[in-house]
Amino acid sequence: MPATDYQGSFLGRISIRRNQVMSMEGNHEQELEDLELFQKHVADRFAELAPPSPSQPSDDIPSDPILSIAWIRKLLDVFLCCDAEFKAILIMGRDPSQISKPPLDRLIPEMLDRDVKALDICNAITNGIEAVRHYQKLAEIAVSALEQRPFGDGQVKRARKALTSLITAMACEDKDGANYTRTWSFGRRGAAAAGNNKSTGQLRSLSWSVSKNWSAAKQIHAMSANLVAPRGAEASGLALPVYIMSTILLFVMWTMVATIPCQERSGLATHFPVPKQLVWAQSIIGLHEKIAEEWKKKEKKGSAGLLEEMQKLDKLGQSLIEFTDSFQFPAEDERAEEVSAHLAELGETCRRMEEGLVPLQVQIREVFHRIVRSRAEFLDVLDLNGKSSALAM
Amino acid sequence: MAGYQSVNPNHEGDQHLIAAAHHILKLLGAIRNLSDDTRKLLADLDIHLSIMTGNTINNGGEAIEVEKRLKCAERMVLRWQANQSMIWDTGPGEVSEFLGAIDEVQTLIDSFSGVSVNENGRVRELLYRANNIVQMAMLRLQEELIHILVHHKLYFEPEYVSFHSCRADVIYDESFVSLEDESVEASQRVSNTGSVSGEYIVDLIHPQVVPDLKAIANAMIAANYDQEFCAAFIGARQDALNEYFFVILELEKFSIDDVLKMKWSTLSSEIKKWNWAMKIIIRVYLTSEKQLCNKILGRFDTVCSLCFVEIAKATFLCLLNFGEAVAMGSTQPEKLFCLLDMYEVLDDLLLEIDSLLFEEAGSYIRIEFHELLRKLGHSARQAFQELQKAIAADSSMKPLPRGGIHPLTRYVMNYIKTLTIYDDTLNLLFEDQNMEDTHSIVESETEQDISPITFCPLACHLRSITSALECSLVVKSRLYREDSLRHIFLMNNIHYVVQKIKGSDLRIFFGDEWIRKHIGKFQQHATSYQRATWCSVLSFLRDDGHCSNSVLKTSYKERCREFTNAFEDVYKIQIQWCITDPQLKEDLRISTSLKVIHAYRTFIGRNRISDKHIKYTVDDLEKLLLDFFEGTWRTLRNSRRR
Repeated sequence: MPATDYQGSFLGRISIRRNQVMSMEGNHEQELEDLELFQKHVADRFAELAPPSPSQPSDDIPSDPILSIAWIRKLLDVFLCCDAEFKAILIMGRDPSQISKPPLDRLIPEMLDRDVKALDICNAITNGIEAVRHYQKLAEIAVSALEQRPFGDGQVKRARKALTSLITAMACEDKDGANYTRTWSFGRRGAAAAGNNKSTGQLRSLSWSVSKNWSAAKQIHAMSANLVAPRGAEASGLALPVYIMSTILLFVMWTMVATIPCQERSGLATHFPVPKQLVWAQSIIGLHEKIAEEWKKKEKKGSAGLLEEMQKLDKLGQSLIEFTDSFQFPAEDERAEEVSAHLAELGETCRRMEEGLVPLQVQIREVFHRIVRSRAEFLDVLDLNGKSSALAM
Repeated sequence: MAGYQSVNPNHEGDQHLIAAAHHILKLLGAIRNLSDDTRKLLADLDIHLSIMTGNTINNGGEAIEVEKRLKCAERMVLRWQANQSMIWDTGPGEVSEFLGAIDEVQTLIDSFSGVSVNENGRVRELLYRANNIVQMAMLRLQEELIHILVHHKLYFEPEYVSFHSCRADVIYDESFVSLEDESVEASQRVSNTGSVSGEYIVDLIHPQVVPDLKAIANAMIAANYDQEFCAAFIGARQDALNEYFFVILELEKFSIDDVLKMKWSTLSSEIKKWNWAMKIIIRVYLTSEKQLCNKILGRFDTVCSLCFVEIAKATFLCLLNFGEAVAMGSTQPEKLFCLLDMYEVLDDLLLEIDSLLFEEAGSYIRIEFHELLRKLGHSARQAFQELQKAIAADSSMKPLPRGGIHPLTRYVMNYIKTLTIYDDTLNLLFEDQNMEDTHSIVESETEQDISPITFCPLACHLRSITSALECSLVVKSRLYREDSLRHIFLMNNIHYVVQKIKGSDLRIFFGDEWIRKHIGKFQQHATSYQRATWCSVLSFLRDDGHCSNSVLKTSYKERCREFTNAFEDVYKIQIQWCITDPQLKEDLRISTSLKVIHAYRTFIGRNRISDKHIKYTVDDLEKLLLDFFEGTWRTLRNSRRR
């Protein structure tokens, strides 16, 4: 689902239609139609992200599991598509003065404020992906060691070392999101040497943080605090797309925070302030409930992040550690075969991470820049109205 | 190792060849005065030949030889495992012994490659053992690596590289006040030091241990422990960089939210820090870091570039994000200089960033820096346009007392004077803009001027700024009730503008024609002032009756008295007025004096008015005229009453 496919055709259509109708007096009906379409598109796009229900046998194309790297990339594509359509509705061919009228004069600055918070979340997630890449590398060491044939004590020890580091690193991250320690110092002497400088760990976490005392959970909270569904007459006006887009932004950011290691996630809200009766929001609400449930489990259990690949690393890592614990030289071939399935799965997970993490990072950067651009476009429009003074900080 | 390609010697000819080689080896081995190295090499070959010929290793003497060697290596690794001291701290002999043992085991493992271990139980057993030794040795190497990296890291003090912090600060104030000329006079551009990166390489690790690190890297990568090597190396170097960043340079990280909400004074000092940090970190630290990676890992291209990017990534992103946040923020005019500074710093470093992040691994960060440069340029242009808007929008309802130099005039002139420091950058930015959108420049000079600079984009923009200023001044002058003061005000301000331009680099941007025209303008205001003030006063002294009949009819005495009163009125008011430029004041006084004194002297002389009717002598009057435009309060009676 490349983002551009949607944009090109849709934006073209909107602008052509706008040009046609701008000359006429009341384009209210046209606007209603646009809004309706927007809601439908939002609903459709998020429906595609929903996991196939068990009752309904999935099509021949296997879908990416929810919260996997590939799934998150799709989610970000959806975000980019929705954002393009949103801007087309709100800015393109529109008299800028409409945007400065109530309630938009309040809603848009609020939205722009949310945008800034989302930018910082994007950065935090980019950092978090670095942690995930670190886990991936540790898992790769284990895979390459255990794949060696014949394997004996040496490889088993090597794999065990890497796996233990992996599990510890993921557990550490989970305990304190601000301090995902990279256990690069494997040995006792190395650890002692690095430990000489007590602030080292602190500095390391600082280098991957957004800023001191920054908290993803708080940002999410601030983003949702003033998000209220428009009511009455507003519900059919331009307040609606602003609300929809803000909801999407909040959902996407929240999902990423819940999925990928991120600075300070404790107290991450699981409440989603979207009225259940909204048709366009059904899929989003469904996804949110599912992810929130997982998150609650995670918080209780204290397992690694919700990222599907990370959960795999955790599960397979644990089982392979068990194997390495009971391993005795010479290797019993049957026992070795027993773990080979796990090993293959771990290898496959690593491969998917290798393929997906860097592109995901690049895509998050794309989202970042898109938000920056959208924000600038709105500020420009507001500036035209001479309202910028109050806004531009 | 590359030579040890195992083949299955199926052909009879091969068998013969191997047998012959065996024989030769035996003969060579019998030579007495062989060096240890050579002897070992022969033994290696011998073992390898045995493996090639099949299962002879099971009971041949070679197997015993292999086992012996493994045992020897194992013993050494285990001995060090029990030992708390570090090998590399102990001595070069121990180091080469240890590395030699690893090399030996590695050679043996390599020579087994291709032999089907399932068929050969003995080989398999040896291989297990060898791998185990390698594993222990690698763990040890990793510890040694970290130990060396942590204990031999070096930092350079930031003062070590002085970048002549480009230019003196110019403090701008939104209220257009408080800008002293002196602060700007002092600001001078010190040209940037050359950008040859070679000058800035410093040692981040004691050079003595670099060969050791290289040896560890070679050994670990040869044993396929490159992942472990990278993890330890990257981790330790990241820590060093973090320590440099946060502790030594005392830099801080900010979220975008923080930066956008920052007070201007804080932001501007953070921007200065960023400029400084960019140069130190990118030009010196990271360039040196890359060099270090090359020295240690030069043989392994991919590992080398991967390590460097991993070490530097977080820092690059941090610097990048601050820039992004600044470029996102509002663009008030006073931010222009900061934006231009950032632009120039980044522009200057872009080549270095390109070469640091040349490889695929860091390419997206590299592209982002290019994008950031474009954004900073865009913001700078916007800030420039904001200046024009701000000039137009500055509408104080109270006239400036005494008709002096308006703070806006000072602000704008000092502002644009500072802009000339950035002429190259600004011309580039405005040219880009003209390409981007067909934004027409307000003023189009048609004269044929000599210097092409007078027609560069910046010059056009500067002239449009001053003409906006002139317009604003005209609007402000209308706030005065007296025409005379209006002219004094405009004369003062335009004179100030001209002086600023004439006395600085602005001159070539504006061109002589422009300056001539504006000298004419303020002179015109001086003339207009004289007319507005003195025409009516001097009318009392006119004889010819052209002025008015009523004046003619009054007695000369009376006219003299009226003149004196009128003069005193003017005196009382105009001594409070202000002409700050001494030369301009002098000029105006002289020309006024010429006019007034001449008329007075003629009047008194021609009409023979006796002294008792004259309140002021010609000399008195001349002296009184010296009090004009001093901006003081003085009562006439106390000072010069006869």
